[in-house]
Amino acid sequence: MPSSESEIREEIALLAAIGGGGREAFRELYTRYSAPLFSLALRFVGDTGTAEEVLQDAFLKIWRHAASYDAQKSRPFTWAVTILRRTAIDRLRQLKRTPASLPLPADELVPAELTLGENTRRTTEANETAARVRSVLATLASPQRDALELALFSTLTHAEIATRLAQPPGSVKTWIRRGLQDLRHTLSSVSP
Amino acid sequence: MKESLEETASLYVLDQLEPRDRALVEARLAHEPALAALVHDYESALAAGVRSLPPRAPSPLVLERIEEQIDALEAGKIETFRRSPSPPAFREARMRDGHNRGQQADEGAASRLSWKTVAQWGIAAVVTVSLATLAVQSLRRPSASPVFVVVGLDANRNTFAELPSPGPVAKDADTRFIQLASAAEDLWRNPAARPLPVAPATTGNHGYALYDPSSQQGFIAIEQLPALADNQRYHLWVIDDSTHRIRDAGILPLAGVSRGLYSFALEPGDTSKADRTRPNFFITVEDATAPSPATPQPRGKVVLGKDRI
Repeated sequence: MPSSESEIREEIALLAAIGGGGREAFRELYTRYSAPLFSLALRFVGDTGTAEEVLQDAFLKIWRHAASYDAQKSRPFTWAVTILRRTAIDRLRQLKRTPASLPLPADELVPAELTLGENTRRTTEANETAARVRSVLATLASPQRDALELALFSTLTHAEIATRLAQPPGSVKTWIRRGLQDLRHTLSSVSP
Repeated sequence: MKESLEETASLYVLDQLEPRDRALVEARLAHEPALAALVHDYESALAAGVRSLPPRAPSPLVLERIEEQIDALEAGKIETFRRSPSPPAFREARMRDGHNRGQQADEGAASRLSWKTVAQWGIAAVVTVSLATLAVQSLRRPSASPVFVVVGLDANRNTFAELPSPGPVAKDADTRFIQLASAAEDLWRNPAARPLPVAPATTGNHGYALYDPSSQQGFIAIEQLPALADNQRYHLWVIDDSTHRIRDAGILPLAGVSRGLYSFALEPGDTSKADRTRPNFFITVEDATAPSPATPQPRGKVVLGKDRI
């Protein structure tokens, strides 16, 4: 699994502490989330400068809204991804730019082994999870894979994805859902 | 059914739902373990997908800039407090501050309200279901109607009261819906807060509607409706006070329960007289096996809100 239950509980506790004004907790959450969220922001907006602005705004919102985080509605990482995605959408609107297309330009990519300040165990688990996700994506046929990647790594709505891929909206919605199911089953089948 | 749950969960996790639909899912999560489990599974898939991206570190300056902004925010809070010597002025400043911060939050209703305000009503022990299939399409930008209408229903009559809109009147329909949902939840949980006579428990079936004339959406709460046969269903209707036209507000999905709180949205209609509208609600028992006409009309027995028929 990408995050163990104990890590999720830790992150819920971190958000509670941040809601109470805890700076150390905020820095710890930033350490855990900044790399994956920055990678995602890069996918959303397509350039490093704007991605850093989006990341900055998103973490500021996490600080301001941590007290209203509700663990019953989402996990901390999903909550942070949602905030990042909405922040990116707003920034793209301000800049009057269309969402970045897939795939990302090659110079924006770095080898997956270059991990960033996390401890070794977490890094190893993350790399294993990443390999499994990539293996699932590799098994998907082109339109379904594109649909799933756009759903995960772009700010497009399902309808916009259908338009971009020139595919029926119903098919796109189904592909995305089934792709997520494949990911889910793959991850759960190898988790302890 | 499972397919529907799967779709709901995936759309929720991928943040593909309109704020009002998202709020409805959030309300369901506390009471539907199957949905909550699916959402958690999809969250794991989403997290794995995001973490599978080649990791990139932002510049160390990003954290520095964030902390500087937090410092400024904290300093602003202290400054606001120091400038507010009297309790009324302090309260006003806090309200302004809260309002401005809400406006500044780019996620607006979808974040500040859906994560905070809706959190207050989402925990209710009710199943909130959107009734009208045209709900999203029928929403329009609300006019500045400052109040919601509360309509009490019993077996014989409708009674009316007004409820001040909580906080500043929202300009967009989704935020308005969330305000409405919050108010509906408050009334549901706290009968003493209802601006209507509270029906004693022995008075039989009764209910109330909380309605926003501007956006033509609302919530209906019902109590002690009799059990239905398998081939029957409860149907909600509204009589437009100005045109006397009967409008379809949807089917109440009462499955084995006699009480509940449900949202509804009317099909598009004239909102020019919305501020003066007193909608009359009534509920009928309809034949579930009868074919659905293009323009549904009540044909069955009226069980709530009789006098306006």
